[in-house]
Amino acid sequence: MRQRKLEIYSVEHHAATDIKKKEGRDGKKDNDLELKRNQQKEELKKELDLDDHKLSNKELETKYGTDIIRGLSSTRAAELLAQNGPNALTPPKQTPEIIKFLKQMVGGFSILLWVGAVLCWIAFGIQYVSNPSASLDSVYLGTVLAVVVILTGIFAYYQEAKSTNIMASFCKMIPQQAVVIRDSEKKVIPAEQLVVGDIVEIKGGDQIPADIRLLSAQGCKVDNSSLTGESEPQSRSSEFTHENPLETKNITFYSTTCLEASTSPVGTATGMVINTGDRTIIGRIASLASGVGNEKTPIAIEIEHFVHIVAGVAVSVGILFFIIAVCMKYHVLDAIIFLIAIIVANVPEGLLATVTVALSLTAKRMAKKNCLVKNLEAVETLGSTSIICSDKTGTLTQNRMTVAHLWFDNQIFVADTSEDNLNQGFDQSSGTWTSLSKIIALCNRAEFKPGQESVPIMKRVVVGDASETALLKFSEVILGDVMEIRKRNHKVVEIPFNSTNKFQLSIHQTEDPNDKRFLLVMKGAPERILEKCSTIMINGKEQPLDKSMAQAFHTAYMELGGLGERVLGFCHFYLPADEFPETYSFDSESMNFPTSNLCFVGLLSMIDPPRSTVPDAVTKCRSAGIKVIMVTGDHPITAKAIAKSVGIISANSETVEDIAKRCNIAVEQVNKRDAKAAVVTGMELKDMSPEQLDELLANYPEIVFARTSPQQKLIIVEGCQRQDAVVAVTGDGVNDSPALKKADIGVAMGITGSDAAKNAADMILLDDNFSSIVTGVEEGRLIFDNLKKTIAYTLTKNIAELCPFLIYIILGLPLPIGTITLLFIDLGTDIIPSIALAYEKAESDIMNRKPRHKKKDRLVNQQLAVYSYLHIGLMQALGAFLVYFTVYAQQGFRPTSLFHLRIAWDSDHLNDLEDNYGQEWTSYQRQYLEWTGYTAFFVGIMVQQIADLIIRKTRKNSIFKQGLFRNKVIWVGIASQIIVALLLSYGLGSITALNFTMLKAQYWFVAVPHAILIWVYDEMRKLFIRLYPGSWWDKNMYY
Amino acid sequence: RESFQPEPGEWKRFIYNPTSGEFLGRTAKSWGLILLFYLVFYGFLAALFTFTMWVMLQTLNDEVPKYRDQIPSPGLMVFPKPLSALEYTFSASDPSSYRGYIEDLRKFLKPYTLEEQKNLTVCPDGILSEQKGPVYVACQFPIFLLQACSGMSDPDFGYSQGSPCVLVKMNRIIGLKPEGTPRIECIPKDENVASISTYPNNGIIDLKYFPYYGKKLHVGYLQPLVAAQVIFSANSTKKEVTVECKIDGSPNLKNQDDRDKFLGRVAFKIIARA
Repeated sequence: MRQRKLEIYSVEHHAATDIKKKEGRDGKKDNDLELKRNQQKEELKKELDLDDHKLSNKELETKYGTDIIRGLSSTRAAELLAQNGPNALTPPKQTPEIIKFLKQMVGGFSILLWVGAVLCWIAFGIQYVSNPSASLDSVYLGTVLAVVVILTGIFAYYQEAKSTNIMASFCKMIPQQAVVIRDSEKKVIPAEQLVVGDIVEIKGGDQIPADIRLLSAQGCKVDNSSLTGESEPQSRSSEFTHENPLETKNITFYSTTCLEASTSPVGTATGMVINTGDRTIIGRIASLASGVGNEKTPIAIEIEHFVHIVAGVAVSVGILFFIIAVCMKYHVLDAIIFLIAIIVANVPEGLLATVTVALSLTAKRMAKKNCLVKNLEAVETLGSTSIICSDKTGTLTQNRMTVAHLWFDNQIFVADTSEDNLNQGFDQSSGTWTSLSKIIALCNRAEFKPGQESVPIMKRVVVGDASETALLKFSEVILGDVMEIRKRNHKVVEIPFNSTNKFQLSIHQTEDPNDKRFLLVMKGAPERILEKCSTIMINGKEQPLDKSMAQAFHTAYMELGGLGERVLGFCHFYLPADEFPETYSFDSESMNFPTSNLCFVGLLSMIDPPRSTVPDAVTKCRSAGIKVIMVTGDHPITAKAIAKSVGIISANSETVEDIAKRCNIAVEQVNKRDAKAAVVTGMELKDMSPEQLDELLANYPEIVFARTSPQQKLIIVEGCQRQDAVVAVTGDGVNDSPALKKADIGVAMGITGSDAAKNAADMILLDDNFSSIVTGVEEGRLIFDNLKKTIAYTLTKNIAELCPFLIYIILGLPLPIGTITLLFIDLGTDIIPSIALAYEKAESDIMNRKPRHKKKDRLVNQQLAVYSYLHIGLMQALGAFLVYFTVYAQQGFRPTSLFHLRIAWDSDHLNDLEDNYGQEWTSYQRQYLEWTGYTAFFVGIMVQQIADLIIRKTRKNSIFKQGLFRNKVIWVGIASQIIVALLLSYGLGSITALNFTMLKAQYWFVAVPHAILIWVYDEMRKLFIRLYPGSWWDKNMYY
Repeated sequence: RESFQPEPGEWKRFIYNPTSGEFLGRTAKSWGLILLFYLVFYGFLAALFTFTMWVMLQTLNDEVPKYRDQIPSPGLMVFPKPLSALEYTFSASDPSSYRGYIEDLRKFLKPYTLEEQKNLTVCPDGILSEQKGPVYVACQFPIFLLQACSGMSDPDFGYSQGSPCVLVKMNRIIGLKPEGTPRIECIPKDENVASISTYPNNGIIDLKYFPYYGKKLHVGYLQPLVAAQVIFSANSTKKEVTVECKIDGSPNLKNQDDRDKFLGRVAFKIIARA
């Protein structure tokens, strides 16, 4: 025990060196960080010199300038508060808002657009110097680009901030209170205001509000699990018992829980605050966690990859045509303007904002299903998760002891362990059960807190430890009002459980007024109870406890113990009335009553049962190709039992030990390949090299880590990440926070989770339920698929937007579409439809396929880019050109006459340009026709984007299978496209600054055949993919 | 297929991989298939585009454009056409400074010579010559109407005397029927510097030249011209004037538009150097 503690004590060192090692491996040494970490380590070492536990009360009083009886004065407290700051953990260093904002301003495509804007202004500057009356067009364009960047930046920032705010409000829900003595008065103040030297009182159930040196406490127990991972309660008193501050009994730590302090004279423990806020032990660990680097989320990597592709295409096409333009003897300034136009045409300005919206929609949907996502990008991470390292207690289990099995009448009975516990269907007719139930009800010190009559039994709050609580609830469910039974059977004496006796005993008057005998009831460790018995009750009759009965007992005991359950034995004895008359005075000290030759009644076993939804969730994870690994501090047997019952170890798989046992051979002889499952303890893990761990993780599909310490969790996570897996980690304790941070996605528990864990996590399960993770996986995968569709949709029109400029430069047609008009597609008609794709339902069962490979299954792959650009994009461009040529031809400029017309067309001084019919056009009349051309081209793209939107609903299935009308938002999107286009053409037609004109009604339909063609072509593509999976077509056409 | 951006070390293998025979990530067969596919696919798209364009062209009429709504009112333009802005700089004493202008004018007036016009009809003055076809006749525009600017009496169009001629014409628009009595009025910005003479007298544009029936039907059509001769005042030292010409006297011909500076009007500058 002590050794283990020592090991736990060294959490910080291990973690720190691990981090250092990692840094070294990465080869990117950040000296400042290194230094800071060293300082942290130094500080931690200094913390070890803490000697408050050794000091006497008097010395403490002088050291902290306080008074144990009167407490601090309010003024002194205020001074100290001002000096040392509030008693709260500093949240991990937030990026300053302005930095976040600026990041949005330069992230993604923004930098490209800024370059474009600046080039515009420079171009104008040069023009202006040579000709002061130069047109302001390029200034407008530059300004518009800048405005676009700023607006989309603000929008993305707002979206981010909104989701962060949800988180912030969640964290601040329950302000902690503390009872403090100040100015000789007891006061209740927020725990944040505690200062060093404050005298605080702690009751059972309280969270310890700071690091505290206990001054007076009796029977005080604390749950240090959030600090050390131990689930056993630790007793605490005011004595100095150990040199090591972490082990001495007279110090309790911030954020641990005081379980009981009931036997102290006033029902409370008193202590002096010796450390507050970040200077507490927990504070130190938490700040260490913030040192663990945050990995980039998979979706962030994907988006970056996609931005690189698109920006690469934009810049290379831009520069290529810049060179071509210069070679074609265009003026350099014009060539620069072309370059900008090509970049603008190629960059999907609205896309990143759309992606943010899609992610936040998913985040919202997940929050409704109890998955709160802290970091917007983390919504997708669960979708690509391939390994989940799950905690046991609370996540997989209900986190409360529940009676699982009973053994009486030489028979094992199964009790209901589901959440409501109501159908206890075992046979209750036997006389033995009557006796057993009486012992269970009477030999129990736990009580319901009063005033909970309307609350379901399983949800009532109980004062008492976990086993007693389980027994109380169990008997309350079966027998009815236990308190009433206890009243009827008045307790005359009791001996509470202690670790030397290993039993608990009480003596009661019976409820039968004719029966003057006292009833002695006892429960405890089964072997101890059996020792004290000479008879055993079978079917209500006492029988001598012979060898065969004892054997039966042992078999049952081993079987229940083998299920990982905590087993208790029960016995009773009716004290003979002649020896123990009604007036007999029992004394618990001298034990003036028999405690041997009792009658054994039965065994009862308890377990923290799995949540009823978990097995199903684990199965779903399995079929989704996700490996679920259990990592727990609990005993291997219990861990394995739970793992088996929830399916983490499936019913027919065996561990090496199981095989050895079955075949009756030594463990070493077993072929390790035969075993599918492995249960590894912390001790074994400690001796493993990273290579051995890798091998273990790679070879066993079902793994349980038991008896692990917190830093081992970190090692396991790193091991999984070495397998190229995307790792999700669940956890609730402070000690989990480094692992949560290290994981690709850390999932903290919302109810039981500590603040440090929540801070380190990316996601919070509001109901602490593992099955919520499955929801997260499903949503994550769906959004990945849908983002693919959104991006494919958005990229398609880039070609249709780009071609006009290329043709303009090379073939000299009047410009088919203006740069500003393009922005109205990117940021006007296309926005809502691309968001609508985020609402698309999954095409097939996404929970039946393997998680995507981090490096192979990209968000934007070659097929997606090629199909969008070179297939649909090109068809769109042709359709849009058709509308453009139609408009010009019907106004008098036939297509053939347009070629190489550019110079004459764009000349301001040429005011009698002749068309094919002999009519002459002024420069402005041509300009107006050009704008009509823009509008026509714009409408052409818009109409075909409707078809594009519809085909993007699915990637493989026919649209008709997916259902045209299932996703209503798509239709909202289509309506928005049409309405925006109508508004631009007819509503704003007179505002020439926007370069839109009123387009004749029939031109809206010119591109419709092309739109239909796009749809038909894509249906064909999908048909061939479905017909010939794995074929050349499938490989090249499926994105 | 694998990756968009191979690692730097893998570039060489990406370009040509001897083990799998892959060139740029594909085998020869794969490249062949891809090229064949795109050949067929783009061939189909090209055919389709050509077909739709052909269908579109079938909707057109050879004689009259389908819509004429974008040019409801004609613009004005001047001859000779200076190279950049509408500025005529010349020196009366230096023939080479105005030779370009004269050549431009001669070229422009070539269809207006009597010889060229002899097949054209003499139309009655003052009324629109509306025709039903199928043959459309063009009206004569006797060049002598331009008097001093006709080039007949003065082959230098006044440039050698320092009183240059500039021809003003109205853009052709099919079917345009001016109302009232349209005339071109030219006004110098500063009347002290120069005065303008317009020919025909008053800058009249006769209605008989309207409507225009299009290049194909209306063979030999001559659009009416107005000449403006700038005569600098003898006592003015400054030989530089801006002249504004606009259509007047016809309610359906606009001469005032904020955006279109050439709709029914034109402004040019004459700089006569010593």
